[in-house]
Amino acid sequence: MAATGDAAAAMDSISKAPTAQSAALNPTVGGGAGRQAAAPEAAAESPAAAPRKPGGNSDGGVETAEEAVEPAEPDINELCSDMFEKMAIFLQGELTATCEDYCLLENMNKLTSLKYMEMKDISINISRNLQDLNNKYASLQPYLDQINQIEEQVSALEQAAYKLDAYSKKLEARFKKLEKR
Amino acid sequence: MASPESQPRFGHSVKCLLSEKVGSCSVDTIALTRQVLKGSRSQELLSQAARNMVIQEDAILHSEDSLRKMSIITTHLQYQQEAIQKNVEHSKNLQDQLFHLLK
Repeated sequence: MAATGDAAAAMDSISKAPTAQSAALNPTVGGGAGRQAAAPEAAAESPAAAPRKPGGNSDGGVETAEEAVEPAEPDINELCSDMFEKMAIFLQGELTATCEDYCLLENMNKLTSLKYMEMKDISINISRNLQDLNNKYASLQPYLDQINQIEEQVSALEQAAYKLDAYSKKLEARFKKLEKR
Repeated sequence: MASPESQPRFGHSVKCLLSEKVGSCSVDTIALTRQVLKGSRSQELLSQAARNMVIQEDAILHSEDSLRKMSIITTHLQYQQEAIQKNVEHSKNLQDQLFHLLK
């Protein structure tokens, strides 16, 4: 937690001393070691010396130094806004992908429900037609009974025809016998 | 939360620290979004739904085909019933004729 406190203090020094940054545009880029040595000192001194004056201060014979910072880029605002816009677009894309999948699933379910409704209509028609057919076949039952009776009567007629045929043959034989005498 | 990235880096400029902080916040935001999506289990649900839909589609098509065949067969049965109805109306005359023959 102390580490974040030092980093936060360092950031506060930037927000509280903007003029110090502008004054520190002196060419101190090559002093890497000096900057590294000055950075912790600047972080340590920032809570104590909030309004930092440019240039080396000498209060009571003690010389102080300021952190050498790089000059701020002129289009930093534009870059920051661009970064946040792209971050928002990326996050929105991440979430939109799942939303689109759910929309696809919803459409597929709607099509399936339409298909089931069509099948329901077909089933209702088939059921109604089969009920009508059953009623019509039930109304045909008397005719079917008549057909059974016709079949029995035809069998009886056939038996009578056989008997008649046999009797006529007997008569023919007797007639021929009598004719020979 | 003391992570290695949040440890104080002595010798780094404030600008460098700031840019690293912004980058870590961006990464954290992206990780949070992905964790939210992972926690919603949407991928598992959607994959299971797609699997069920594939199985169901075949069954639906087969059922629809069977129902259409049933409707065609029902129509043919209706035609046959009408033909039978037309022909059995002659059976009354036939029965009367046979009755007179067998008298």
